Amino acid sequence: MSERDARIERLLLGQEIADFLYHEAELLDQRRYRDWLDLLAEDVRYWMPMRRNVKIGEDEREFTSAGTDINWFDEGKETLARRVKQIETGIHWAEEPRSRLSHLITNVQVRAAEPSVAAPQDVSVTCRFLIYRNRVETETDILVGKREDLLRRNGAGWLLARRKIILDQNVLLTKNLTFFI
Amino acid sequence: MTGPINVRELAPGTSIVLVDGSRAEIVDNPGDGVWLFARYLSSPRDPTLIGQEGMIFAQDVAALGEPTTT
Amino acid sequence: MAMKGSRGYRSGLVDLQAGEISREIFVNEDIYAEEQERIFARAWLHVGHESQIPKPGDYFVSSMGEESVILCRDRASRIHVFLNSCRHRGMKVCRYDEGTAAVFTCPYHGWSFGTDGRLVGVPYFREAYHSRLDKEKWGLIEVAQLANYKGSIWATWDPAAPSFTEYLGGFTRYLDLQLDGWDGREAQAEVLCGVQKWLVPCNWKFPAENFSGDTYHNISHRSVDLAGIGPSGAGRRDMGERDVSRKLHVCIPDRGHQTILYVLPAERLPPPAYMNAPIVAEYFRHCEEEKRRRRGEEARLVGAPGEIFPNTALLSRQPRTMAGWHPRGPHQTECWRWYFVDRDAPGEVKQFLRDYYIRYSGPAGMTEQDDMENWNYAHAASRGTIARRHPYNYDQGSGTAVTDYEYQGLSVPGEVIDLTEVQSSEQPMRNFYRRWAEFMEAGDWSQLATWRGSERKAAE
Repeated sequence: MSERDARIERLLLGQEIADFLYHEAELLDQRRYRDWLDLLAEDVRYWMPMRRNVKIGEDEREFTSAGTDINWFDEGKETLARRVKQIETGIHWAEEPRSRLSHLITNVQVRAAEPSVAAPQDVSVTCRFLIYRNRVETETDILVGKREDLLRRNGAGWLLARRKIILDQNVLLTKNLTFFI
Repeated sequence: MTGPINVRELAPGTSIVLVDGSRAEIVDNPGDGVWLFARYLSSPRDPTLIGQEGMIFAQDVAALGEPTTT
Repeated sequence: MAMKGSRGYRSGLVDLQAGEISREIFVNEDIYAEEQERIFARAWLHVGHESQIPKPGDYFVSSMGEESVILCRDRASRIHVFLNSCRHRGMKVCRYDEGTAAVFTCPYHGWSFGTDGRLVGVPYFREAYHSRLDKEKWGLIEVAQLANYKGSIWATWDPAAPSFTEYLGGFTRYLDLQLDGWDGREAQAEVLCGVQKWLVPCNWKFPAENFSGDTYHNISHRSVDLAGIGPSGAGRRDMGERDVSRKLHVCIPDRGHQTILYVLPAERLPPPAYMNAPIVAEYFRHCEEEKRRRRGEEARLVGAPGEIFPNTALLSRQPRTMAGWHPRGPHQTECWRWYFVDRDAPGEVKQFLRDYYIRYSGPAGMTEQDDMENWNYAHAASRGTIARRHPYNYDQGSGTAVTDYEYQGLSVPGEVIDLTEVQSSEQPMRNFYRRWAEFMEAGDWSQLATWRGSERKAAE
C-alpha cells in the first residue's frame, strides 16, 4: 500500500469511528436508550473512576481502580440495562421530569487499530466530552472530561466493548449521575 | 551563581552548600519542596552545629556541593 | 431573628408536643451559623477509619462540620486529627486527599508541622524570630478528644464533651453491627478504597433525618424496586431476613441517635440470600452460623439505616456504608460515603458486594439518586416567605413508643416502636430534633449530658 493509501485508510477509519461516537451521543440526547444499549457489547465494561488529589510522581494513585475499589461507575451491560429500565418506569424521580442533555464529543483520536488500520477488528479511541444537563427549571450541570473507549467490529458497524470515563472533578459537583456519559 | 535549586528533587546523600557558607549532607527529603533534613558537615557561623541534624529551608540552599563519599 | 421568640427552639421552632417543626431550621442562615458553634463544635463527629491510615505517616484529609481536618498516624503510630490550617496565616497545610507524609508544610510561608502536629520548621527562625518563637505553642490545632471505636475514628472540639462511649449511650450496640464482623468477631470492618464525595443542594439535616430511619419514603424508591438491582437479581435488596423479622424503630433518648432495626425470631437463622452467587451465599450462611455461636441472642439483631447525632449515617447491612453530611452553607451539603467489607472476606465476596454497593448508593446509585432529588427540591421549596410560615408535620406515631420492648426473650432498650404492623413512624426524627433543640439551647455540656442524673439514679 502506498503512503498515500495508508493515510486515506487512517482518515477513513478516523471518520468512521467519530461517526460512531456522534451517533451514540445522538441516541443518548434523543433518549433512545434501548437503541443505545444495542451499541454495547454483551461483555461491555463501563467504568468511571473517582479522582484524587495526589502528589506529582504518584499518578498511579490518582484514579480509583476498576474491579476492586469504589468508583462512580464500574459495571456491565446488565446493570446499564437496569438503569434504562428504571428511567422507563416514569417514576424514577431523579429523571422524571427527564433531564435535557447534550453530549458534545470532540478531540476524537484513534489510538490503535488491531490487527490493522485496513482491516480493523478492535479500535482504541480517545475523545473529550462536554455534557450539558438542564432539568426541571433552572437546574444545570456541566461535566467535562475524557473518554477512553475500545470499539469492537460488529459486521458493518461497531460495538462499545470498554469505556473509561475520566471526569475532571474531585468532589462531584452534580448531585447525581442519572445519565450516561 | 547558579539558579534556584528545586530541593524536592534532591536525594539523600547529596551534599549542599548553604547561603551562610555551611555545608551539609541530606539525610532525608520530605518531598515538600520547602525543607530538607540534613547533617552539618561544616559551619563557619556556628561550629557546634557540625555533626548535628537539622531542617534546612529551601531558600537557604545556595548550591550543590561535592558528592560525599560514604 | 426568627428563633429569638420567648418559646425557644424546643417549644417554638421544634414543637414536639404538636409534632411540628418549622422550616426555618433548614433554611435560615442565622440558625445555620449557630449550628456550627452549638452542634459541630461540641458534638462527636465521625472522621474516618484506621484502615485508611495503616502505616506511620499515612493521612486522610477529612471534614468536621465545615472545616477540613487531617486524620493521620504519626511516626510512633499514634492517631491524630488536626485542623487543616497553618497556625501562621491559615493556608491549608495539606491539599492532597490521602497519602503518606513526613511533614505537613504550608506552601504560603513555609511553616512545617510533624505528623504529631508539632511545629518543626519555621523559615528564618533564628534571623527573623530571633529564635524566640515558642514552637511548642504553635503546633497544628488538634481536636480536644479523639476516640478509636473498633477502628472507626471519632473526634470532638469540646474538651468538656463526655467520652465517646458515653456519648453513644445504648447506641454502641448498633455501631457494633456496623464495625464487627458478619461472623460475630469484633472490629472486622475495613474501608474499601475510595470515599465518594459529592455536593447536594439541600440542608444537611435532610439526609440526617432521612437516615435516622425514614420508613415512610419507600414509595420514592419504587422505580429501583421495579428495575431490580438486588443481590439475587430482583427488587432493591434481598428481603428474606426482613420478611421473618420484627421491624423496629429504636431511639436512644437524650442522645439523639436512632435506627431502624430488624429482630429475627429466636431459634431461627436468616433465610438464604445471594442465591445467584453460590460463593457469597455460602460465605454469609457460614458467617450467620458463626455469629449465632459467638453472640447468641445478640445475633438476632439485623441492622438497617441509622444516624448518630448529628451527621453520621450508618447502614450495617448491605450496602454496608457510613456517610457524613458535611454542612456547606445552609443550602448545600457535601455528602461523603465510606463502604465497608469484612477484611477477611474472600476476594469474590468483596467484589460482589462492591458491585452491589456502587449500583445502590452514592450519586450513581440507583436508590440514593431519588433521595437526593427529594432533598434538593424539598429544600428549595421551603425557602420562600410563605413556605416558611408553614411547619412540617412530624406527628406520625406520636405517643406510641414503649421503653420495655422485648421480642421472644431479646430485650431492646430505648424508645421503641414496633413497625411490623403499623409500617412506619416518625419517632426517629422526633428523637433527632429533640436532641438538635437541646444542642441549640444548652450553654455547655453540663446541660447537654441530660442523662447523668437519671443514669446515676438507675445505677443505685
